[in-house]
Amino acid sequence: MPRKIKLIIDSDLENIPLVGMTINKLCSLTSFSDQETFQIELCAVEAVTNSIKHAYGYNSVYQVEIVFALSSKELTLDVYDTGTPLEKGLLEKRSMETLGHNTADPDNIPDGGRGLAIIQTIMDSVVYKSEKGKNCFTMKKKLA
Amino acid sequence: MEIKDERTNGIDVLRLTGRLDASSANDLKEKVAALVHEKRLNLVIDMADIDFIDSSGLGSLVSSLRSVNKQGGDIKISSLKDSVRSIFELTRLHRIFEIFDDTQGAVKGF
Repeated sequence: MPRKIKLIIDSDLENIPLVGMTINKLCSLTSFSDQETFQIELCAVEAVTNSIKHAYGYNSVYQVEIVFALSSKELTLDVYDTGTPLEKGLLEKRSMETLGHNTADPDNIPDGGRGLAIIQTIMDSVVYKSEKGKNCFTMKKKLA
Repeated sequence: MEIKDERTNGIDVLRLTGRLDASSANDLKEKVAALVHEKRLNLVIDMADIDFIDSSGLGSLVSSLRSVNKQGGDIKISSLKDSVRSIFELTRLHRIFEIFDDTQGAVKGF
């Protein structure tokens, strides 16, 4: 049985550091390196930010749930919201290659859109589901 | 996040402390916009005390760079922690920004 903890925050950007710092500390229970811990914190922050900005449109009256589950083989992070789902296929489309980062011209570099690409790059598995008004972003990282 | 501004030889050095994430990215954009308004267009962003950066933080740096570039200025980044530098590399933004090991070098780079 994985060990689990659930965090619930109001959908306010000001709460994002709370999530990041908590996930970082929880990762100290694992064998992840400092670099991996930083990256996992980043993915949690990106997913929660995505919920607040895009699912809830910056409206802070909703909630975002984060479930941290640790088994002997992997860490699973589930991020739930009840807002507007991600556009279908957007997750698959986002990668560093599709962001125009191969140019050295800042005019051709987008300000946003990196969050999903970062998650896709760092995590071993990323799945997004939207069912019955509830959206879930599931990210997995194998333990060494 | 805290932003301290020191002006030296016509260059503004912005020393950031804390986390540059979605909760603070607008603070940096607003600070840079105010400097651009005053035609202070050559900036060094010292990130020695930035412990964490996310895509929103990176976006605020890209947006700031674009706004000073449009007026003929530039932004140089200095003193990145290894973990923060790794995110610049992951997102390939180390190709966009000139990154220096220390602020003195970044100031001299203008």
